[in-house]
Amino acid sequence: MASPIIDASGIVKDYGTARALHGVSLQIGTGEFVALVGPSGCGKTTLLKILAGFEEPTGGHLQIQGRDMRGVPAASRPTRMVFQKLALFPHKTVAENIGFPLKLQKVGKTEANGRIRAMLDLMHLKPDYLERYPAQLSGGEQQRVALARALVSQPGVLLLDEPMSALDAKLKKSLQAELKKLHRELGTSFVLVTHDLEEAMMLADRICVMRSGHVVQVGTPADIYYRPANMFVAGFIGETNFLPVTASAAGDGMAVVSPLVAVGKTTIASEHVSPSLSAKGTALLVRPETIRFVKGDAAPGEWVLDGHVEEYFIKGASTQYRVRVHGLDNAVILDLPGSIVLPAAVGEAVRIGFDPTQAFLLSE
Amino acid sequence: MRIERKSWNDPVFVATVAPLALVMVAFFLVPLLMTAVLTFQTTQYYRLVWTWDLKIWTEVFSKPHYWTIMMRTVAMALICVVLTVLIAFPAAYALATRLKTFKTQIQILIIFAFLTDAVLKTFGWILILDKNGVANWLLMHLGFPPEMLNLLFTPTGTMIGMVYNLVAYPMFTIYLSLVRIDRDLMLAAYDAGASRIRTFFEVTLPLSRPGLYSGAVLVFVLSLGAFLEPKVLGGGTSPLASELIRQSFETRVNWPLGAALTMVLITIGALMLAACAAFVLRRPSTGRRPA
Repeated sequence: MASPIIDASGIVKDYGTARALHGVSLQIGTGEFVALVGPSGCGKTTLLKILAGFEEPTGGHLQIQGRDMRGVPAASRPTRMVFQKLALFPHKTVAENIGFPLKLQKVGKTEANGRIRAMLDLMHLKPDYLERYPAQLSGGEQQRVALARALVSQPGVLLLDEPMSALDAKLKKSLQAELKKLHRELGTSFVLVTHDLEEAMMLADRICVMRSGHVVQVGTPADIYYRPANMFVAGFIGETNFLPVTASAAGDGMAVVSPLVAVGKTTIASEHVSPSLSAKGTALLVRPETIRFVKGDAAPGEWVLDGHVEEYFIKGASTQYRVRVHGLDNAVILDLPGSIVLPAAVGEAVRIGFDPTQAFLLSE
Repeated sequence: MRIERKSWNDPVFVATVAPLALVMVAFFLVPLLMTAVLTFQTTQYYRLVWTWDLKIWTEVFSKPHYWTIMMRTVAMALICVVLTVLIAFPAAYALATRLKTFKTQIQILIIFAFLTDAVLKTFGWILILDKNGVANWLLMHLGFPPEMLNLLFTPTGTMIGMVYNLVAYPMFTIYLSLVRIDRDLMLAAYDAGASRIRTFFEVTLPLSRPGLYSGAVLVFVLSLGAFLEPKVLGGGTSPLASELIRQSFETRVNWPLGAALTMVLITIGALMLAACAAFVLRRPSTGRRPA
């Protein structure tokens, strides 16, 4: 990264005796869209508040646009926030809400009006909304007004604190698409906090996965999905399968043995091995969409497991099967292409197979 | 909030509304009408004479003495509103935003003080305001000349008592308004570039208006009828409307006059409240976001 707009290093945050952030380091490039993802209490919102200037870090350094942010109040930072509950001023009209940052910067009335109108256009809001109050708008319209208020003063960084978590699924999808388009058009850096890794994968250039105040992995959506650092990251995107194995170094890759599989011995190439592999809880990550029902002979090198169908769910484009395999704690999940003909019934004995060389070797 | 249009033909609606309506009519509207009717009667040898006469109203409008007292009452009520709000707002603000540790204890103390009988509290102030009272004793020991304050049996004494007895009302209403303000709104104002003071005037103060107004109305209405404080702490040197009305009914046994003065006080109060309401409602609604 040539010149990061945000350079956080070793950020520590304590609340009393509880440590919310344990030395978090993260660089965000100019114009980049970064998502902070993790379960509740992982510290992602605390980190965002530190970037915004609502919280002062206990330790570490934070630079935004090359300036040290220690002691710089939120008002003087080049960041603007879209709040989870939007925080539109209920006693101000849409025009007054959007124009509030301009009023504080003492921007002239005609210029301010022009910029408010430009924002309205950008957000596809009708001009007659200007005199309305936030309570008179729908959830999606309020969302756009909140975005317009945050963007009207042309901030260097836009911070988004789960702004779409309260919307229904359909509205969420359309606003996600608009957010992505907006980011491309404006070239402003976006930092999105979300607990929804799927949303993060759709929108962000890079994803920072956090857990209990630590950064677990930073990478592109493809990295996070196909090369997760550990089982926590791999499991966060949704349901997936972990097959316990023992692994040992073998030439270029790793020799992997699974006691559960009849001929459970193979070599995994180094690009299918997590760089942060440790000895504890080694497992193969087998994505549900890479497993098939084996009817007849197994393919050469394919690992085959015996089990019986516990349940299936028709999801439309795909059908999900849960197969109970002897010796595994969790049911194995298969995502098969949707079909009107179901390949197996509940309780039926089945064989499932996958190519272990295409699986990903990781640890806890 | 939505106001639903209900029909008087709806029996459930009538049944649910009727009891309250009856109580209001029987114990509020009827006595008010009776008071109004009473003003057109006269008295002779301390007895009510049943007529229709404008004599009392001529007297009321021809004696400036009554109007001086009415105006003094309104002025005292307005000063009391300003003082109570000025004291209550910072206290409520501190209670709502700053004091975290002793919040409950302070609230309980305020409620105890509020619930203690007003007569007791008002007489208690005599001990403080008397020439040889606690206030002068304290000031003397702090190095001020002896008997520096002479507040008992003055309008200032009355005002101290009124403010003390009424300050809890706006404190509670303002507190309730303040705690309802989403803290994110203040963060949003800071984020947009506002200073703390600017945020207070742009966000906190406008959003605490409902509590501010309702507290002010409560204090205004209650201090228009202040009776105890002018009597006990004012010593009758500058009587307020309620004392004048009591004298008309009890000392002079002139019920029509008392009724007329009551109507004047009610009318002045109602007109001022209407003017304030018009002023407040001139601004468009501070619409709330749906939850």
